[in-house]
Amino acid sequence: MMNIPFIKYSKLLLTVSAVITVVCLVFLAVWGLKPGIDFTGGSLLELSFTNRPETVEIQNVFDGLGLKNTSIQKVGDYGIIVRTNFLTEEEHQRVLSGMQTKFRASDNQVHEESFQTIGASISSQLKSKAAYAIIFVLLGIIVYVAYAFRKVSRPVASWKYGVLAIVALFHDVLLVMGVFAVLGRYYGVEVDTAFVVAILTVLGYSVNDTIVVYDRIRENLQRHGGDNFVDVVNMGLNQTLMRSINTTFKTLLPLIALFFIGGASIHYFVLALLIGIASGAYSSIFIASPLLVVVYNWQERHRA
Amino acid sequence: MPVKNQFKPISRENLKWRVVGIVVLAVFSLLVVFPSYGNKGIDWVNKKANLGLPNLPASGFNLGLDLQGGAHLIYQANTEIIPDSDKADAVEGVRDVIERRVRGGLGVSEPLVQTTKVNNDYRVIVELPGVTDVNQAIKMIGETPILEFKEEDNEPLRPLTAAEKKEMDDFNAQAQKKAKEALAAIKDGMSFADAAAKYSEEEKTKDNGGVIGLIDNLVFPDIYKWAGAHKDGDVSAELVKSFDGLNIVQRISSQPGIPPAPASTTIYSIARIFIQTKQPVDIVPPSEQWKSSGLSGTQLKRAEVSQDSQTSQVQVALQFNDEGTQLFADLTTRSVGKPIAIFLDGTAISIPVVNEPILNGSAVISGSFSLQDARLLAQRLNSGALPVPVELIGQQKVGATLGADSMQKSLKAGVYGLIAILLYMILYYRLPGIMAALALCIYTLLTLALFKTINVTLTLSGMAGFILSIGMAVDANVLIFERLKEELRDGRGLKSAVEEAFIRAWPSIRDSNITTLISCVFMVWMGTGFVRGFAVTLAIGVLVSMFSAIVLTRTMLRAALLLKKKDEANVLFLGYKKKVEAVVAK
Repeated sequence: MMNIPFIKYSKLLLTVSAVITVVCLVFLAVWGLKPGIDFTGGSLLELSFTNRPETVEIQNVFDGLGLKNTSIQKVGDYGIIVRTNFLTEEEHQRVLSGMQTKFRASDNQVHEESFQTIGASISSQLKSKAAYAIIFVLLGIIVYVAYAFRKVSRPVASWKYGVLAIVALFHDVLLVMGVFAVLGRYYGVEVDTAFVVAILTVLGYSVNDTIVVYDRIRENLQRHGGDNFVDVVNMGLNQTLMRSINTTFKTLLPLIALFFIGGASIHYFVLALLIGIASGAYSSIFIASPLLVVVYNWQERHRA
Repeated sequence: MPVKNQFKPISRENLKWRVVGIVVLAVFSLLVVFPSYGNKGIDWVNKKANLGLPNLPASGFNLGLDLQGGAHLIYQANTEIIPDSDKADAVEGVRDVIERRVRGGLGVSEPLVQTTKVNNDYRVIVELPGVTDVNQAIKMIGETPILEFKEEDNEPLRPLTAAEKKEMDDFNAQAQKKAKEALAAIKDGMSFADAAAKYSEEEKTKDNGGVIGLIDNLVFPDIYKWAGAHKDGDVSAELVKSFDGLNIVQRISSQPGIPPAPASTTIYSIARIFIQTKQPVDIVPPSEQWKSSGLSGTQLKRAEVSQDSQTSQVQVALQFNDEGTQLFADLTTRSVGKPIAIFLDGTAISIPVVNEPILNGSAVISGSFSLQDARLLAQRLNSGALPVPVELIGQQKVGATLGADSMQKSLKAGVYGLIAILLYMILYYRLPGIMAALALCIYTLLTLALFKTINVTLTLSGMAGFILSIGMAVDANVLIFERLKEELRDGRGLKSAVEEAFIRAWPSIRDSNITTLISCVFMVWMGTGFVRGFAVTLAIGVLVSMFSAIVLTRTMLRAALLLKKKDEANVLFLGYKKKVEAVVAK
């Protein structure tokens, strides 16, 4: 049977993970995430043309209407997405008729594909709800993990399993956020409610892997006793390795399909899920379990 | 978590029924998801055997706006002017009005209009599937028509000048003189009919003996009072004043009241000789014909089409709230016999005459309405009753083509994802993998059937949630099969290894699904469309997947094992090879 000595390399693994986490934190601190209109308020207008004009010409129409803070982004071969301030319905209609008068011709049809506008009261509400949702989910998971491990108290206390599972989770979430900080900085990718949903899903799902690995370690402790804790942990890791890889890979399969052919509107939502879920498997193997050994060793040293 | 380490044997008979149950469930789900195929089959059977079986309901999935195209509008109700205790009711009222407007005015068959309260803000959310002309919809919803009840304005614009006063007095003196002459003529023996023809200024009645018909105490209270004190055939010896002039009155006959007068009262058939007099308003007209009565749409509870129980005439029934009831009682008391006008947006839409004071706050507007006119009027009255102004604070509109495109793309992604998982499971786990693949197909059908039966609205995010759940659904099977692999490697017999694997994997399956469900609960709490759509389908998917992994896969695997004679794993099971090696090593 395969036996990879993960724990032997735990210092190296933890260092690499710590570096990744710190880099992500730095990205977040320096660049931050680029908030979408869900959180800032504003409008998102998607138009398609049979013969798309230059971005500058479209920009001129908005400038002519006195609309500031407009950014225009090309989508596909025929479409554009315009981001701008909150538009009242009159302003929205003025934009549309402005587009029609300027660009409609025998060889050019202008069509409004979608329009979304969000007022300040909604966006501030979404922001606070998103923050609360993340906090509540984290609390819920901590409580559940502590509950699930309540009967394992030796040689490592059950609440420590819970805390370590959350540490691994933080790594997953920070990685997703770090990637989106980079995407926001260089590709203008915005963070919206969909992103929060992805984070919440990653929180709920990625902790699974950690739970399964810990479950197995717990079972091994009951079977073989806690004499050689390091070996028991390593055995648990190896036993659940294929399972971790298989479950994660199979969950990623449909997400990969969605990422490539699922359409533009959920592209980055799916990307956040992909990164978070992949990271969940990584962190349960390379972070959560080595940390368990670190905690054990620390306890041993202090008892001695 | 104590792991029950016991091998529960299951009888062949029991297993057979479970397999039958799964097949029935699968077929049922298939028919719910694709009713058209089922209906083709039923039609075929009906044609052959003439059983007259009914068709399945061919309803589609309940698609969200982002998949079928449509508009999602968020209004904020301005409730500042309303006392706290009434706010919720007022907003519910707005909700009703908006729903009526979009149903009636826009012809949206299935609008979804909801109210939500966020902190202290009341909001109305309007979902209009299939509507792409949002501009018109917004106009219809946003307009705040004003309903007003007005009474006749009898106040002259300004006091009369001395000359005008003299003119009026002269005119009235003339009238008085003329009336006296008529009275004297009758005293001298002129017949009432002749006197009417000669003196009466009421063109309608002067040539038929002055007969104005039956009166009750409402329109001509003074004449009614006089009639009550006299006998049939009597002619008044003095002039009787009415609101419009001077009268010489004859009581022709009396009878019990007929509607609208109560039967307990007496009504009289009356003839009169009428001499007009002038009031100040006849000389200086009022500034406007109508003046506000203080009663408006804010005090109207509702208007609805009803039918007069006696004449079966279509009418519009109004019901006021408490304040409105009081105002309406005052208004009708002082306007008996006079018209009041119902104004919508500054135009008189109906001018009923008040027959009697109405104290209970309900009124009917009768007239020669067609049913359609009455409906329109009731609808417009209800629109006028918009209790609070609303402001559009957010909107989302998705064109139908974009929606269809999203739908197709996510469907395609789902199918590819599903196929990839099926292949992976079969290639990696072999026979159990086939069982899991079959279970996954049933899972997919079952979940879709559930979406349809409990009417889950499928949005783009919901599709994503469902597709993700397909990936997660296999997790449980992977846990079980990895366990099975180990149990086989440990040298267990096949059947007990299978049972053991299911039992041992359960706590992990449960734990890992619960955390996902915790996330879903808070996502539903977050509440916006995208989040909720995703969380609901994911949560349903996770719940069904537990059932699928534990019940479906286990039963199918047990059934497959029945076909095998030897209780030994073979090449169809992962973990088999290692066991052989282990034996060799010994």
